[in-house]
Amino acid sequence: MSAPPPAPVREPAWSLSRAAIGLWVTQAVLGTVVYGAIVAAAIVFVPADAGWAVPLLRWLGPAFVLGYAVVAIAIRPRLRYRVHRWEVTAEAVYTLTGWLTRTWTLVPISRIQTVDVNRGVFQQLFGLATVAVLTASSQGTVRVPHLEVDVARRVAEDLARRAELVRDEAT
Amino acid sequence: MTGAPEALGRRTSPWVLLLHTVTFRQARALVPAVLALGVTRGLGDGLGTVVALVVGITVLSLLGAAISWWRFSYTDGDSAVVVTRGLLSRSARTVPNDRIRGVEVEAPVLHRLLGLVRVRIDAAAGSVTSEEELVIDGVTRAEGDRLRHRLLTHAASAQDSEAGRHAADDPEEELLRFDYRWLVYAPLVGSYLAVPLAAGGALLRAAEELPDQFQPEFWSPDVSDTRIVVRLVVGALLLLILGSIIGSALVNWRFRLLRRGGALVAVRGLVTRRHTELDIDRIRGCTVSEGLGMRLVGAARVSALVTGLGDATRRGQVLPLGPVELARALSVELVDHPGPLHRHPPAARRRSIARGTVPGLLVTAAGGVLMATTGWWSLLAAGGALVLLGIPLGLARYDALGHVAGPRSFAMRSGWLVRSHTVLQDRAVVGWQVRQSLAQRRAGLVTVLACVGAGSGGYTARDMAADEVPEFAQAASGSWAATLTPYG
Repeated sequence: MSAPPPAPVREPAWSLSRAAIGLWVTQAVLGTVVYGAIVAAAIVFVPADAGWAVPLLRWLGPAFVLGYAVVAIAIRPRLRYRVHRWEVTAEAVYTLTGWLTRTWTLVPISRIQTVDVNRGVFQQLFGLATVAVLTASSQGTVRVPHLEVDVARRVAEDLARRAELVRDEAT
Repeated sequence: MTGAPEALGRRTSPWVLLLHTVTFRQARALVPAVLALGVTRGLGDGLGTVVALVVGITVLSLLGAAISWWRFSYTDGDSAVVVTRGLLSRSARTVPNDRIRGVEVEAPVLHRLLGLVRVRIDAAAGSVTSEEELVIDGVTRAEGDRLRHRLLTHAASAQDSEAGRHAADDPEEELLRFDYRWLVYAPLVGSYLAVPLAAGGALLRAAEELPDQFQPEFWSPDVSDTRIVVRLVVGALLLLILGSIIGSALVNWRFRLLRRGGALVAVRGLVTRRHTELDIDRIRGCTVSEGLGMRLVGAARVSALVTGLGDATRRGQVLPLGPVELARALSVELVDHPGPLHRHPPAARRRSIARGTVPGLLVTAAGGVLMATTGWWSLLAAGGALVLLGIPLGLARYDALGHVAGPRSFAMRSGWLVRSHTVLQDRAVVGWQVRQSLAQRRAGLVTVLACVGAGSGGYTARDMAADEVPEFAQAASGSWAATLTPYG
């Protein structure tokens, strides 16, 4: 691969919590188990001579599960960890997500309406939380997934306090 | 004014009972269930059954209307509007006055016969796009005007303590009046063409739901005769054109746009008269959109982008249909224009052609496989045709692209089927989203989305030159966007 062209805008400075890798691996393992169960059930309950595509699908199913397992467990979590970045500057919240299609989102603190901290079931296991920053626009929502709980709380409190100080009623 | 003293809440006019019974408002939900029941139990085809059904549904309707009228009340207090309703579970919705963004008074045809109106109160929804609307159905015209005036005065004074800007005696200035010559544009506008089609569909469905003996005999023409087919097609086209003109005339009847104090007032409609009020201080930008057909005859429509306005595409319309010069002039009056658009780089043209031809190429590939395996060539030919059509499509889409940032506003233009030119004030931007796909990365392009708390919530400039982005974002919003600028 040739050297990638420079990014159009700058990269946010901070990465997520390392525990996020463990979380993504756990989710991928569960996903593999579910897909595996579906494929196994299909192989057991659908008779092999049911139709023209069935013999082919009996091979493709397990192959798909295997491929998914390799990508989702071994490759994707580390890649995601390297790709997702975030930063809170003096004036704005800034994130970068996505690997093939990269998305940078920037929201000024003066336009923040609410700041939420959410914790899913798996996030609680790994001591993580997601910070969601909402604005007046339905498309202008910034989510910083998988921060350590106390970091997330501190960030949310800080953002809410600063937003209160510089709130701009223009919107 | 009707009913109880203000402390207990006001009631709607009892005439709505009649209105809702006639329109089966409450019973409408039951009709399919009753029909289904009838079908499963074997509905007699006789006249008796039909009469029984009609009477039954009417009684149910009256009952439903009476209950909901009895349990419905509203109060417009000094700080909030409260609407109470519900038979078993009482619900009281409170909307603080300073969150009210707009009040719409509409008068459908039956309401007008009885001198009633329906009032819709729009509350600021923020980023949650739920049903944030209060509807008070069936108050007298005077009460409707009183409510609108009182609520909007509240809303304004709560925000800028400049009370009385919406006073009723403010002078009115007419900005626009619908010219009936503009109706000739209607057959070229997709949404108006859909009106006669929808009407025809509804008629057919209604005819099918009638019991057999009441079904009209459909005339079945002899389709083997070409002349008859040609006549049918021409007739259908004429009907479609006529229907779209009538539809657009009904909706836009006596459309007027007024400036009254600090608000823009749009009034329109023949059957249902709508009266929409937009706070000028809340206008953040506007969109001039021209459909493919509209561009042929030089027609356009203008929507104002207003913060916190629900159902923005319909309510924000300040010119539903008119000549494009007038549309441009109106949009300049609404927001400062930033100047002529900059074209996107040549790489964007290549991307655009690639996007246009990809579906065709996929079909061609599938067609090639089919041809090789089964010798079936028509898919291959269709794929080739799609690829050829994709090239002018890509070029046309590229031609529509443009953006520019001016001193206080910025503009973005895109779209081929409907080309929309959006101008937004700098202060409207609540965030930027910069997206770059793998192909865009190689071509040095990005797609920029300006997040806005008005209109559709976000406006995109596709395939901008990557190195222009930080500068554009900063010029089009504020110094906070400097965060995007790369180091070094």
